[in-house]
Amino acid sequence: MDRSATKPAVGGLADKLALVLLATGTVLTTVAFILTFTVASPVIGAKVSGVELIGDQMIGNQLLLSQKIFYFHMPVAIASMVALGGTAFFGIRFLMTRDAVYDMKAKLCTEVSLVFILATMATGEMWTRFEWGVWWTWDPRLTTYFILMLMVFGYFVLRAAVEEPERRATYASIFGIIAFVDVPISFMITRLIPSSIHPVVFRTDSGMSPDMLVPLMCSLFGFLMIAFGLYRFRVRTEALALRVEAVKDQIDE
Amino acid sequence: MAVTSHKPSTFAQYKTLLLKDLQREFRTRDMLSSMAIYALLVLVVYGAALSQTGRQFDILQMSGGLLWALIVFTSLLGLNRSFGYEKEDGCLEGILLVPLDRSVVFLAKATSNLVFLLLVEIVVLPLFYFFFLTTTAPAPTWPMMLLPLFVGTVGIAGIGTLLSTITVNTRGKDVLLAVLFIPLVFPLLYACVSATTVVVAGGDIEGIFMNSVLLAAAYDLIMVLLSWVLYDFAVSA
Repeated sequence: MDRSATKPAVGGLADKLALVLLATGTVLTTVAFILTFTVASPVIGAKVSGVELIGDQMIGNQLLLSQKIFYFHMPVAIASMVALGGTAFFGIRFLMTRDAVYDMKAKLCTEVSLVFILATMATGEMWTRFEWGVWWTWDPRLTTYFILMLMVFGYFVLRAAVEEPERRATYASIFGIIAFVDVPISFMITRLIPSSIHPVVFRTDSGMSPDMLVPLMCSLFGFLMIAFGLYRFRVRTEALALRVEAVKDQIDE
Repeated sequence: MAVTSHKPSTFAQYKTLLLKDLQREFRTRDMLSSMAIYALLVLVVYGAALSQTGRQFDILQMSGGLLWALIVFTSLLGLNRSFGYEKEDGCLEGILLVPLDRSVVFLAKATSNLVFLLLVEIVVLPLFYFFFLTTTAPAPTWPMMLLPLFVGTVGIAGIGTLLSTITVNTRGKDVLLAVLFIPLVFPLLYACVSATTVVVAGGDIEGIFMNSVLLAAAYDLIMVLLSWVLYDFAVSA
């Protein structure tokens, strides 16, 4: 039973770390949420025609409350992409070693990614509705991210359609690696196609003041920690389930 | 008497596998004829779909998109069948028993898929013109559309060969191929549609056309190389 060495350990350093990171991530995202609505300065949006009295204040520009979506939208999008990186990484590891543990980890990474992709889509949908005034537009960034979501759906459809575990693991790994190609494309597309209406955030001259940058960074690192925590807890659940199965088999024998 | 044997060159293996595919197809013409008829039927559906549009309707702006939708759906049909044949009578097992590099199998299969797709396109393109474009005057640059057509078809054949190898062993393979294939070729499709539309309807050849073709070619390169590398795992799983 030397293969037990490669089985995912339960209760090791990674699991303790996961608990700490999940807690820290929860605190950080909560702090980010509060800071977003209290400290972060509102963004000046489209000009109001002339100076008007809005909410007992003389205002020349409309201040956008919907811009607050951004503090959650970008961090969850980044987290979903990082998680998909995990899918590709464990896919490669599986093809190298043929160890079923890596396939399980790749699947769990994709699951975590799916959660964050859905969160990105939900917040993005609000953004397009309230900032751009449309429900959907075939903007390059939106489109590439949308097909990313479809590929993650496809990943699970593929897994469900293959019976043998070994073959399922191989096919899923291959598809996970190919699907990852879309991640850098989706990330870079707003830089490659300047006509895209989606703003480019990662740049040195993003014009974000510290009161905006702090909540954003809290949110970003918070969601990354939550993603890792979720992933690690899922690994733990699966590992325990495998152990229960093994014990059951032993009892049957 | 000593028996001498020599290992056939990689190119000879490739040629044999490719000729096997072509011979089998040209003996029955199963796949080609069904793809051609399917393409014709899609054109008929287009006829109904566009029948209520106005007289001033600008078909030239839409022709690139319609043509590529036709190509994608027709190639789905072909790709589905191309690997199904290998499964019959244990042909694939036979090929895998031969001590040859698996990437040769990929290259041969991708080339035969490419040949079939190009043949179907040769038939479909004049039909498309006949049904929809005779009343209009395409821009004089229209022959340049052959470039994105070729680049796009190479990508479709490359990605499709890997995916059809995967889906042939799954439940509900027809649907699954579409589910995996369409998102993966989407960037290619997007670039090819913009390149085709520009040369057919007229526009910024220097900028949009070259950029789109380069984008499509780069995506082709990445995807075909990845498929090539990963094919060994897919075909022996």
